[in-house]
Amino acid sequence: MESSLGEQLARLLGGSVVLPGDGYEVDGLTPQAVVRPVDRLQLAEILKWASSEGVALLPRGGGTRTGLGNVPRKADVVLDMGAFNRVLDYQPADMTATVEAGMTLASLQEHLASGGEFVPFEAAQANRSTVGGILSVGAGGPLSYAYGLPREWLIGIGVMSTQGVSTKAGGKVVKNVTGYDLNKLYTGSLGTLGVIVEASFKLLPNNPHSGMLLASFPTLAASISAGRKLLHSPAAPMGCHSVTSGVSRRLQDSVQAASQDLGLSEEDTALTFAFYSGRAQATRRRMEEAAALLLAEGANVVQRIDDPASNGMLRWLTDAPAEINPNSVLVIKVSVQSKSSARTSAECGEILVSGEKPEQMADPGFGSIRLLWPSSTEGAAEVELSILDAVQQTRQIASRYSGSAVVERCPLSVKRQIDVWGDAPDSLAVMRSIKDRFDPNGILNPGRFLGGI
Amino acid sequence: MDFKRFLKDLQGIVGAENVVYHSDDLLVFEYDGSVDRGMPEAVVFPNSTQEVSRVIALSHKAGVPVVGRGTGTGLSGGAIAPPGGIQVAFPRMNHILEVDTENRLALVEPGVINLNLDTHVRKFGLRYAPDPSSQKACSLGGNIAENAGGPHCLAYGTTTNHVLGMEVVLEDGAVVNLGSLARETVGYDLRGVFTGSEGTFGIATKIAVRLLPVPEAVRTFLGIFPDVETACTAVSTVIEHGIVPAALEMIDALTIQAVQKVTDAGYPDDAGAVLLIELEGLQDEVDEIGDEVEAALWETGASQVRTAEAAAEREQLWVGRKGALGALGGIAPNYFLVDGVVPRTQLAPVLGRVADVSRKYNIPIANVFHAGDGNLHPCLLFDERQPGALDRIVEAGTEVLQICVDAGGTLTGEHGVGLEKKEQMPLVFSEDDMAAMVLVRDAFAPDNSMNPGKIFPDGKKHTPHAHPPAHGMPA
Repeated sequence: MESSLGEQLARLLGGSVVLPGDGYEVDGLTPQAVVRPVDRLQLAEILKWASSEGVALLPRGGGTRTGLGNVPRKADVVLDMGAFNRVLDYQPADMTATVEAGMTLASLQEHLASGGEFVPFEAAQANRSTVGGILSVGAGGPLSYAYGLPREWLIGIGVMSTQGVSTKAGGKVVKNVTGYDLNKLYTGSLGTLGVIVEASFKLLPNNPHSGMLLASFPTLAASISAGRKLLHSPAAPMGCHSVTSGVSRRLQDSVQAASQDLGLSEEDTALTFAFYSGRAQATRRRMEEAAALLLAEGANVVQRIDDPASNGMLRWLTDAPAEINPNSVLVIKVSVQSKSSARTSAECGEILVSGEKPEQMADPGFGSIRLLWPSSTEGAAEVELSILDAVQQTRQIASRYSGSAVVERCPLSVKRQIDVWGDAPDSLAVMRSIKDRFDPNGILNPGRFLGGI
Repeated sequence: MDFKRFLKDLQGIVGAENVVYHSDDLLVFEYDGSVDRGMPEAVVFPNSTQEVSRVIALSHKAGVPVVGRGTGTGLSGGAIAPPGGIQVAFPRMNHILEVDTENRLALVEPGVINLNLDTHVRKFGLRYAPDPSSQKACSLGGNIAENAGGPHCLAYGTTTNHVLGMEVVLEDGAVVNLGSLARETVGYDLRGVFTGSEGTFGIATKIAVRLLPVPEAVRTFLGIFPDVETACTAVSTVIEHGIVPAALEMIDALTIQAVQKVTDAGYPDDAGAVLLIELEGLQDEVDEIGDEVEAALWETGASQVRTAEAAAEREQLWVGRKGALGALGGIAPNYFLVDGVVPRTQLAPVLGRVADVSRKYNIPIANVFHAGDGNLHPCLLFDERQPGALDRIVEAGTEVLQICVDAGGTLTGEHGVGLEKKEQMPLVFSEDDMAAMVLVRDAFAPDNSMNPGKIFPDGKKHTPHAHPPAHGMPA
């Protein structure tokens, strides 16, 4: 090509929407340009151009999860969807809302609060995470046990195809079997099939009351075991989490900075978080029963934390992985059958990277466990081998419990050697075929998804 | 193709006793719960995934299209055999393979009856939440194909929110696993897009579904209202209180009259609408919210409010709603049920416009519907023996769908597009929208030999036949 991609884009759209790619590095690759379309017409132009020129586009929301995925085969232009940030339709009485993909989760929730409602999923860094980004990743937050994943709440979607054609699926009604449910296909597809432009959600009314219990346990195993008992009791919370002492110390630091005291002992302590919400009386009753159960299961201390402090704790727990990740040399998210949470946690907890065990954040109700190995001072080559071995061991354990292990963070040298998503399932051929049909020129996030899709 | 040879090969796979091909025997497989008909060339009853795979691979080689069939309760013609096609049905594969109480999931074969699963797992304090009104008869495999709903999906979501994973057979006989027993899986959510694909992607042979704990308390409320508009106001008021009931159902005056003729539901003769609300949850939560619901019903103009908490008494309140469609048989020989959905706030105006259609065509329309999620079920009453009646009904039905779409809604909430509504798809979706959908089908079934001719318009004239109300048990 004679002119740079940035110049070509500038000619296509006008210079104001094109910026240099510096500072947008992805896995060691620096894109040539960042383009920020202001409307669907521009977005369509960009996609048509990229398809015909074979330019690799990296769709971007808030940039909070850019590290997720394999090393891209190519990273030519970042497609910043930030200008698509409007609420298109919100009918509180219908409990549905349609918003553009670049809207942040925080501003969406703020908007919905005016109608006394909320969309029931959480994402780290909600003031940066966008609707489109959250859907593309498809992951849930600390209340997934009660509310499921974002997929459960998406009722309609507007997507710009790789050929620059606007398409939609679903609609604005809460129950709909008209045509294939492409909502599910796009959710969790990491932007590899099309560019999400707008999304419609079903909503829930705000809970009149919420609160949480924070219980300290001598060990993580005790915390998880108590959490499982709690989840299967009549006093079941909306979400229950167990974290290791390294994670709980960070919480201590962060609440002490806000001059609160959790009253935790200095000794190594695992914490159980149990979140509750609903009508005041029923919520209080459940929390009392739950506190008694946790104490009977060996909790050292159980504290009740009420709204709004409990919401602060929920935000802290949602954001914690994003805050801890930069100090970790390896982060793996394991998803298994929920009943295997305790065994998975125990077995993975023994895996060493440079002699160190991982910190853990476990959701024993949903069956997901994040393993975070602290950064090491060892030489790069030794660490690399140690990490590759840890990845291998974690995957064996996950697969023993019908699950998967996704490497969320690791050194680039390791990332180049693995598929961060793990072993391909037997449905990979169908997945590849879908990708080839939706993106025949391979322009969207090439190579980043499972099996190099 | 040598069809005799093909039959012999089918018999070789599943056994002679598991292949039906005499036209007399095939009659019951000619229809489902909809108004469509289509005689399969043969029906096969496999015993295992392996057999399903071999049957489908054989048919694929022979160029014979295949449609999976549950129990034939579908309401959109989804299980009707395509011309020259065979059906694969699952009376032999009807086992609950495992109930895992620790994981709260069940592993089932596709022929398991929805209600049988629910009844079975209740022994363990668990439930299977999706409850289409045909749940006494419909199968999980069919529920997957149609993404079945039911009254309680207002609070718990439809089938798709309860499927964890499945083993499916694709058109070339390949056996592939979608989803998993873990809640999160890697790669595209194929189990999500497979659910509701109406049998056009393949056939599920093993299904893992989530189970939920049985709630501590359940309370049902029945409100009698002077008319549908007032009852719709009651619905809005309840929702404005921040209450999402487990179910929120309504029947209108014409339906009430039909019900009164055949059941002892005990509605007053002048009732214009009956609203049913069910709350589930913790006892004190149900108590607290229950008081608010009851107050809202009185405030908005209910002339009577009845409540029940014991199972038998609650069942009594549901009698009229559950028996409504069957009861329509007492006032007309046939009905045609439209499954349109609208945003909840559009219910009252849309029902007004449906009444206009009724007057315009001089067709009585009885309304039985899921008020909570805006899923209408207008039943157009007619007598198929009158010449041209069915054509007029289909025309009026299309007009009702147009009204739903104009109000921001869509064609079908839980019954599927199938044969019945495929020509109406352009009311909702552009050619580009449908082309994207077809790309997914092409990835699963490149030769389009699984249940071809469904969902997407092909301009082929739809020749429906009427059926008596006794057939249908629509949600």
